[in-house]
Amino acid sequence: MSETTQAATSLGRGGVEVEVRGLSRYFKDTAALKSLSMRAEPGELVVLLGPSGCGKTTALRMLAGLDAPDEGAILIGGKDVTSLPAAKRNIGMVFQSYSLFPNMTARENVEFGLRVRGKKSTERSDRSAEMLGLVGLTSLADRFPHQLSGGQQQRVALARALAIKPQLLLLDEPLSALDAKVRAQLREEIRRIQLELGITTFFVTHDQEEALALADRIAVMHQGRLEQLDTPLAVYSNPATEFVAEFVGTVNRLRGVVVDAATVDVELVGKVSYGNGQTLSPGTRVQVLIRPESLGVTPATDDGAEVISRSFLGASTKLSVRNPAGDPIVVEVSVAEAAGVADSPNVKLFARGEALLVRPAPS
Amino acid sequence: MATVTPDLGRAGGSGGEGSNVLRLGKPFRYTVLILVGAFFIIPILASARFSFLGNNNSYTLSAYTQLFGTPQFWSTLWLSVKVGVGTVALTLVLLIPTVIFVHVRLPRLRRLFESVSLLPLVIPSVVVTLGVITSFRNLPNIIYGTPVILALEYVVLALPYSYRTFDSAVQSIDLKTLVDAGQSLGAGWIKLLRFAILPNLRSGLLGASILTFAFCLGEFAVASLLSFTTFPVFLVQVGRLEASQAVALSLIALIFTWIPLALVMIVFSQRRGARRVAGVESAIEAAVAD
Repeated sequence: MSETTQAATSLGRGGVEVEVRGLSRYFKDTAALKSLSMRAEPGELVVLLGPSGCGKTTALRMLAGLDAPDEGAILIGGKDVTSLPAAKRNIGMVFQSYSLFPNMTARENVEFGLRVRGKKSTERSDRSAEMLGLVGLTSLADRFPHQLSGGQQQRVALARALAIKPQLLLLDEPLSALDAKVRAQLREEIRRIQLELGITTFFVTHDQEEALALADRIAVMHQGRLEQLDTPLAVYSNPATEFVAEFVGTVNRLRGVVVDAATVDVELVGKVSYGNGQTLSPGTRVQVLIRPESLGVTPATDDGAEVISRSFLGASTKLSVRNPAGDPIVVEVSVAEAAGVADSPNVKLFARGEALLVRPAPS
Repeated sequence: MATVTPDLGRAGGSGGEGSNVLRLGKPFRYTVLILVGAFFIIPILASARFSFLGNNNSYTLSAYTQLFGTPQFWSTLWLSVKVGVGTVALTLVLLIPTVIFVHVRLPRLRRLFESVSLLPLVIPSVVVTLGVITSFRNLPNIIYGTPVILALEYVVLALPYSYRTFDSAVQSIDLKTLVDAGQSLGAGWIKLLRFAILPNLRSGLLGASILTFAFCLGEFAVASLLSFTTFPVFLVQVGRLEASQAVALSLIALIFTWIPLALVMIVFSQRRGARRVAGVESAIEAAVAD
């Protein structure tokens, strides 16, 4: 039996359902969180994604009991825990900054939660060995935090959070202080452990790539509000708002005119289909939001879009072009397609996918 | 293989490549060290010599033997030690929760508390003394009129040293995150303080305690004003009658202050040294293995 399976067995539970209802938090006159409502299914990993100051960490701290909401309720496993202090919620949390106790070894850190619960020494040491094995740090159990690298410290913090058999795991930007390679490695490890233990998890990040790679569902937040809660694919390909479209991935904003209920005529691109339940009357001047990979290029004469730069990305090539008015447009095409326009100073654009959103143009 | 770049320079305690003082070379550094050392040592050596000087330029231990044979020496020393220990205990009881609460819950008020802690330096000690006496006038006799009132005075007067030392130690750790982490793991405040916070503030606690204790052992004005014959008051009384005994007494007071200071420094330098070596070794291993 693998260490993770052993740990999952010893945790002896699947995840619990978590629900927040109308959660609000005000700091003086500023609303950090405005009536946030959402639900996580048992064993689900929900990523709270958004820019700095959007309220994602505030929401997480309230789930942990480290901050109290001004309005609303938090239910974990169907039980209202809104007024329960952090120490009594049985929630494991990993923080952005290294939060290991400097006076304790990795093993002692992992044992801390069990120690304060009055568990016996043998039980503590069995559990810490199991958890350190789970995160692959058995050999470093007797090291102090200052003797560990950043990635190792966050692994110990994860083992410490899991050692108390939490009913919910909260991760507050745990990878943001790490370098890119360690970050990617640890990200996969967190997901593996979460899936195998089946623990309900909330993960806060401002990194859209991290969110798309990790989440069962992504909650995109902006200015204290929940903009969209959906699967990574839906958030990327069917954004609910302009903010979501622009925050998750790159998007072009082009001028166009509505042709009918499903088609819009976009400047330089031509006919583009759109859906998303939007109803606009034909002839309406609109702004069309479209992803770079939904556009294609062919060689053109002087009347096309002017190519400004070409960036080779490995599997694809990114072309930066501009329309006659000077507005920038980003196009991402296959290497072969880019090679076809390699000698063209101008290119003709066409649509190979749907528009994300169509909005009436500002008057 | 992940690349970890250990901060070997810092871990090894070296660095300072850009320091102009270090570029001046060893002779300059030793000269400065000798001059500063001489500035402090020569007066002490001169005092020591004077305290051992007998008739006809002979050397004698009589100043010390007479002092040690005086009952008042031991009683005043014991009173000062008692007041010192009481002051340290009271200071810690007030300081630990206050500083931690300010850092965790009221970080915006940190500057205000720091400024308030400095007030005893700018307000004359006579005013502080009268203020404390007035404040505790209605309290039972166990406080008012006993050395307890002296400890209360010293808690206030030593605040600039104790508060700043402990506050600096708290600033050196990420206290809020440690508190959050401890609470999320199920620890209440008592267990959090006992296992996770105070062990990481040991240097600050020791520093604040030693400075407070040293202050109590050397304070004359307030003790004299309140008519308590503490060790420094006894020293002044002796000085009026017998100069060599007064100097001997000063040296004894110095030694009493230095011994705990030296012990703490030795213990901490050994611990830091051991951690530093372990840190460098681990950083190298992490760089190779990660």
